Amino acid sequence: MREASSRRLRLPRGEGAGAWLCAGSVALSLLALLALLALLTVRGLGHFWPSPVELVVLEDGRQLAGERIREVPLARGDGVERLYRTGNRDLDGDRWAWVRVAAIEAVSHPVDLVVLERRRWGQAIGRLAAFQAASGERIEGEAAWAALEARLDELTALRDARDRLREEVILPLAARRGDEGLADGELTAAHGRLRELQAAMAGGRLILDTADGDSLSVPLEQVLGARRPNAMSTLDRLAAWGEGVWRFLSEGPRAANTAGGVWPAIFGTVLMVMLMSILVTPFGVLAAIYLNEVAHQGRLTRLVRIAVRNLAGVPSIVYGVFGLGVFVYGIGGRLDRWFFEASLPSPTFGTGGLLWASLTLALLTLPVVIVATEEGLARIPDQQREGALALGATRLEMLSQVVLPMAAPAMLTGVILAVARAAGEVAPLMLVGVAKLAPQVPVDGDFPFLHLERKFMHLGYHIFDAAFHGGDVQAAMPLVYATALLLVLVILVLNLTAIFLRHHLSTRHGALTRR
Amino acid sequence: MLDSPPPTAVRRRLRQGRDRLATALITAGGIGVIAALLAIGIFLAVEVVPLFWPTGDSSAISPEALWGVGEDAGEAADEAIRHRWAPTASLAPGETPRISLAPLAWGTLEAAAWALAIAVPLALGAAAHSSLFMSRRLRSRLKPTLELMEALPGVVVGFVAGLVLAPWVERHLAEVVACLVLLVPGLLLAGGLRSWLPAPWREALPLGWAGLWLVPWLALVLAASVWLAPWLEAVAFDGDLRRFLELRLGLDIAVRNALIVGAAMGFAVMPSVYALAEDALSGVPASLAEGAQALGATRWQTLWRVVLPAASPGIFSAVMIGAGRAVGETMIVLMASGNAALMTLNPLDGLRSLAATIAIELPEAGPGGMHYQLLLLAALALFVFTFLVNTLAELVRTRLRRRYQRLGGGS
Repeated sequence: MREASSRRLRLPRGEGAGAWLCAGSVALSLLALLALLALLTVRGLGHFWPSPVELVVLEDGRQLAGERIREVPLARGDGVERLYRTGNRDLDGDRWAWVRVAAIEAVSHPVDLVVLERRRWGQAIGRLAAFQAASGERIEGEAAWAALEARLDELTALRDARDRLREEVILPLAARRGDEGLADGELTAAHGRLRELQAAMAGGRLILDTADGDSLSVPLEQVLGARRPNAMSTLDRLAAWGEGVWRFLSEGPRAANTAGGVWPAIFGTVLMVMLMSILVTPFGVLAAIYLNEVAHQGRLTRLVRIAVRNLAGVPSIVYGVFGLGVFVYGIGGRLDRWFFEASLPSPTFGTGGLLWASLTLALLTLPVVIVATEEGLARIPDQQREGALALGATRLEMLSQVVLPMAAPAMLTGVILAVARAAGEVAPLMLVGVAKLAPQVPVDGDFPFLHLERKFMHLGYHIFDAAFHGGDVQAAMPLVYATALLLVLVILVLNLTAIFLRHHLSTRHGALTRR
Repeated sequence: MLDSPPPTAVRRRLRQGRDRLATALITAGGIGVIAALLAIGIFLAVEVVPLFWPTGDSSAISPEALWGVGEDAGEAADEAIRHRWAPTASLAPGETPRISLAPLAWGTLEAAAWALAIAVPLALGAAAHSSLFMSRRLRSRLKPTLELMEALPGVVVGFVAGLVLAPWVERHLAEVVACLVLLVPGLLLAGGLRSWLPAPWREALPLGWAGLWLVPWLALVLAASVWLAPWLEAVAFDGDLRRFLELRLGLDIAVRNALIVGAAMGFAVMPSVYALAEDALSGVPASLAEGAQALGATRWQTLWRVVLPAASPGIFSAVMIGAGRAVGETMIVLMASGNAALMTLNPLDGLRSLAATIAIELPEAGPGGMHYQLLLLAALALFVFTFLVNTLAELVRTRLRRRYQRLGGGS
């Protein structure tokens, strides 16, 4: 008794240490989540911001120009080392330069430094020495920059015109050529126009003087864009940032996944997830209806229900193994022997592909859909069913007219959760069909338009591949951050939709509980 | 009117026929889908059998070889050599293949253990706080937030752990140690400081919202410990923690090590443990807690003496579910562990898990070969382990729910 009363006296104000540690664990988890999201956002979006280019003069007289990336303290406290992205990989074999900060004599930001984005070899940084037009005319000095900008705009317009011509005129004409000979003349004319455009795009080069005194001659068709970051106003930078983000979303990867965009990966992810939800929804709903409405509610059904629930906890890699063994090697191998014998040493369906990946992920997310739908079905009061049956409805009518409409939001929640899980799942895909670089998108103009046997690119696998298998991880990092941010955003949006739906559902059916 | 009976009869028969057909289809479809799901285990078991069943062209593998206690076990072979996973290594004639799954199983369990060591205290603390102290509004916001945390893809967590956290930790070992040391005192300091604040301030910082307003405080504490780290390193670790660990304690330090994996996977596993533990704690009949508080117990005492014992089976099942997830997680381990098949107790060494091994090696292993079957055996082991653990957790939870109903007539 005395002990108890003294304890009460000792704790008059608060709840003691434990309560604070518990509150701290909530705070720590939130802090970790916030830190992760902030890191992804800042690094992912910051990469597209055109950062200023520094011209560094070292003590020994060497010069270099580049974007400052980060600083790292040297071992044994010998000061600090700074990393610059200097580009010009074709000249000195490396696009990075480590510089000891103590060895730097002067840093300046000259406005005439140009950053070139090239098709091959990545960035080039230097001063624009001359611009050589296709006609051979050579322009030097400040006029060269204006001429270069004008010519690059022209080239972009020409490229757009060429793509439009190819998409809208030549491809439809080529497809029609079989049935009528009439199109032939038009096709030849269109090809003529295409050649004209290509001729107008050819030629021209620019000469770049790099900071360390070399000279670089770049043909204009290699140049994707040029900018002078130090001369840009904030508004210009904002515009350049927007353009960078857009190009990241709309272009394909370049330079072994270390540059360019992620459009094929977005496309592959979305297509695979769509196929998967088309596969998983009917089967999941069917199984849930069977378990909850048709099957005899005995011991066996209860066991099956527990088993299905547990399958949601089985590691995804196990599903991947199943997909590889059964779908790819088993069914795919057999299909190859039956229908694609002509090309047999090289497999058609007997290797990972879009179809097998979607099927595997459908199997993986099946328990999620079944459990969610079943919860929705169980929440519908039995009176509703009994009322329908009492009015003379058959079981099919009762299910389709009364029960399923009421359970629809629950099914939708299940499908969205399944999609969110499938979009982030990478491990099984590594076994059943993802590719680090798919030359062909699985949808194109050739019959049958959707190529289920092709490999595809995936955002999650793109992260893994670029971060761990690329030649230059340092160069790929910003794009990996951006891709990770994109993937997280997609998944957050999907999950928020599911949470919102479920909230809506519980407020609507909150009062209705099964007896 | 007169001729109405025959059409109704026909229509009724038609309706009933359609109904019977639909029921049969649903039954067939439902059973088919569930059978396809359950076929996973059967497929793995069937494919693995030939490993232990000698056929014409392949000899069976002895179970001892899988655990690395084969013929050379008697020799004074080095522990690290004896347990080795090198199924593709070219062999001299007469040599037995190194196919010990022991280091992989060890790596899996080690990673899972570290993940749980980080996730379980965090999750249980958070669950206790949110079921007892937290304001209702914050709680209804916190649950979906942590669900979002659970939905973060493993690749992203693995990438951040392997390529951002691991190199940072390697360069800032002392800072990490300082953070760990100062975390708990920092939190207690917050509680102490709050009780000394004038009343209006104290009311502005209620315990119910502590989960939120402690976030900036924690950031501050962590920043302070990073700032204090060089001093700590100089005083306690002879000025260089890395050398101290290597020389005094004999620990090798790998960039991507078990602790990094544990931290990342703990982060990933924590929300699911939290969700289940919170369910168990808030499902305890209110009458129990109210009775304890009416007898004069504080809320903390109520939690510790009444609610926690009542909910302990639920918490056990939450931890089990977390263990199942941690054992099967692939991408985080693959990206954050370095994938070296080592068997050491050193948490600063790398590891290689079963799941990561499957992901790396299965695409290269030809179907039907021994390597392929071994990897399938690993998958079967994962399947059986997680299935059993989840079933156990589910059974415990079902019984707990019944107990709650008996105790308090439902929550």
